[in-house]
Amino acid sequence: MTFGWHGKLLRINLANKTIGRESIDPGILHRWIGGRGLGVALLAREVPPSPDPPGIENKLIFSAGPLTGTGAPGSGRFSLVSRSPLTGTIFDCNAGGLWGIMLKKCGYDALIIEGGSSLPCYLAVIDGQCSILDAGGLWGLDIPSCCSALKAVHGDGVSVASIGPAGENGVLQASVITDDGRSLGRGGLGAVMGAKNLKAVVLMGRQKTVLADQAKYKYMFCEIGKWIKANPITSQGLPEFGTPVLVNLFNELGALPAYNFQKSYFSGANKISGETIAETVTVKRTGCRGCPVRCTRVTRGRSGAGHGPEYETIWSMGPQCGIDDLDTIIEANRLCNILGMDTISTGSTLGCAMELAQRGHLDIPLGFGDGEGLLEMIYKMAYRKDAGDSLAEGSYRLASGCGQPGYAMQVKKLEIPAYDPRGLQGMGLGFATSNRGACHLRAYMVGTEVLGIPKRTDRFSTGGKAGLTIFNQNVNAAIDSLSVCRFICLAVSEEYWARMLTAVTGISYQPQDLHLIGERIWNLERLYNLKSGFTSADDRLPQRLTDEPAAEGPSRGHVARLDEMMGEYYRFRGWSPDGVPTETKIARLGLEEMIC
Amino acid sequence: MLKTFQQIGRDLFKAGLNSSHSGNISIRSGDRIIITRRGSMLGHLQEGDLIETGLEKNDSRITLASTEIKVHRAIYRKTSALAVVHAHPPYAISLSLLEDEIVPLDSEGSYLLHRIPVVRAEHTIGSSELEEMLPEVLKEYKVAMVRGHGSFAVGQLPEEAYQWTSSLDHSSRIIFITRSLGHNPLSVGTQKNKVW
Repeated sequence: MTFGWHGKLLRINLANKTIGRESIDPGILHRWIGGRGLGVALLAREVPPSPDPPGIENKLIFSAGPLTGTGAPGSGRFSLVSRSPLTGTIFDCNAGGLWGIMLKKCGYDALIIEGGSSLPCYLAVIDGQCSILDAGGLWGLDIPSCCSALKAVHGDGVSVASIGPAGENGVLQASVITDDGRSLGRGGLGAVMGAKNLKAVVLMGRQKTVLADQAKYKYMFCEIGKWIKANPITSQGLPEFGTPVLVNLFNELGALPAYNFQKSYFSGANKISGETIAETVTVKRTGCRGCPVRCTRVTRGRSGAGHGPEYETIWSMGPQCGIDDLDTIIEANRLCNILGMDTISTGSTLGCAMELAQRGHLDIPLGFGDGEGLLEMIYKMAYRKDAGDSLAEGSYRLASGCGQPGYAMQVKKLEIPAYDPRGLQGMGLGFATSNRGACHLRAYMVGTEVLGIPKRTDRFSTGGKAGLTIFNQNVNAAIDSLSVCRFICLAVSEEYWARMLTAVTGISYQPQDLHLIGERIWNLERLYNLKSGFTSADDRLPQRLTDEPAAEGPSRGHVARLDEMMGEYYRFRGWSPDGVPTETKIARLGLEEMIC
Repeated sequence: MLKTFQQIGRDLFKAGLNSSHSGNISIRSGDRIIITRRGSMLGHLQEGDLIETGLEKNDSRITLASTEIKVHRAIYRKTSALAVVHAHPPYAISLSLLEDEIVPLDSEGSYLLHRIPVVRAEHTIGSSELEEMLPEVLKEYKVAMVRGHGSFAVGQLPEEAYQWTSSLDHSSRIIFITRSLGHNPLSVGTQKNKVW
């Protein structure tokens, strides 16, 4: 009997309409756990690396972790892995909500979708029956309408992951959104679904995830709960304010980018802060099923109540675009959620367009601070209308098309989120070396540089940051494979998760095992990208951040000193000076045969 | 302000009343509270290690504050304290595992503290139970022990709360030594303080 995992995957080929159930080799599960790790391991075997992102031969791999569906705190998550049309890299997103739990309840650890349908379709896996169904009537609908229509057909108990118009139209910021707004946001994976003519995946199941050691599970559940309650981040900051708690915090550090990173301090920050949101527009607090943190906010804007906005969205639609009007930000968040767009990349691309226009490189009537113009442009991006068609390609392609790639604040074509590396040196290294492009969550050096997790380090210092970045990248890759919420991990360290994983699966895992698995995942992603044509030249921050000192605020005078850290980073990783994993490293991690 | 916290923090650490990263110090200033950063080293407090946030209301800085901020806030809300020192004095913690109250034998402890209540809680770190229980005992006592965890002392100034903490562990040490010598401390002057 398998504990934690079901040991099964469902493979659907949309081109020839075949559906197959396959067993997963237990060795793969033990070595890659699930979620992100399982997803990248499967993708690397099935989608050959290539210089250009694959077309219809690209695959979508949805994968849950062994903890998903067990009720462990923060564990109701799953990953979506594919090749990103925006970055060209191997790419994973993960989300909470109900969908991942339903995947496990359907009796599968993973779902592989390959090929493309000639006509719009959706997939339904309900009580053991898998069907590819006509989505002609759903095509063109926004996310809430699509979700409602599918629930009307299949019942309120189902969970729906769907794309909106942005995904249908191949927008490179297109996301996949589940149910009431949990987003697989980054990397344009919604466009991969759209290219396959796949509108949605509907799940409903009743299978339980069987635990190996119920008593140990209960013990670890209580132990983890104790730390969640004891830590002010998870017991007070996030429950009361959600992620917007970070707005004032980062502005006070001079690490809140503004005006497309022309500034690292925003004078209007308090107007859009977590405190202001809590006092003025919050309707209620909610969260993922069973999660004690409940960090989600429902806020009221001009179009009614809805989820969010999260910190990164407030930044991307706010300071990044010179906007300090909360109602505009809430509306922009709502539009992205219903149209199916990544708020970070969308807002950052808009900010880039505003600077290009400001400097006369792009002829569009859109400037910093133009809230109504921003909202209109989001629609145009989703439907690729007028100038929106260029913006729908992301900031790098937009700026490059204007002959000014330096104004795109990106790494590997993925837009940098709401943390200015000039005031956070480790975050800069984390952005530059991230396998999926500029992602704050890969290393999340904010933990040590700001929040003091596990201990506070000097945010302006580069000393020791390479080692810490590697440590965090590895452990977070394992956490993403469990699949556990990162917020919970602000209070609970990996030693607890190793014990919880042992309780659930019956296989002995120790913290160092999670680190090794995380390192294996990181190196596989790296190798895949290298074989796809990426080089160390892609591990760079925009020149603005390394050459232009912050002009004002607490980080004034600082630049991102990436070069001081990069050599150490490659060396500590056991890579060549060019950033290539050595044969010894590849052999130690057992990656020799992993890429097809 | 930082200098005061640094002095008290360093003395607490050097006296062995805290381990490297344990303990916390706060003061109340009107509707605001200034408390040591979560995970800071009291023996080496630096710029950025003091976190100011609301006494009643959270703001973004709550994410940086000491794990014990809930208890500190509750103490300020329900007592007249203006300073709180939380420490992990080893002798007092040892006694708290054995006794329901610590009754000093020495003159200084007897005069200053009379007796020190020991409160029990299932969860002892950042605990909602302690948020309820500790302020009630600190209305009547200068310092109280949480069984197996540590002391919470109150005062008008951090130095005052530090003094009660220091006296507590000093008295606890004397009890420990006296017992080691084979005497039963309960027979020595404790009945008077029982009614304190």
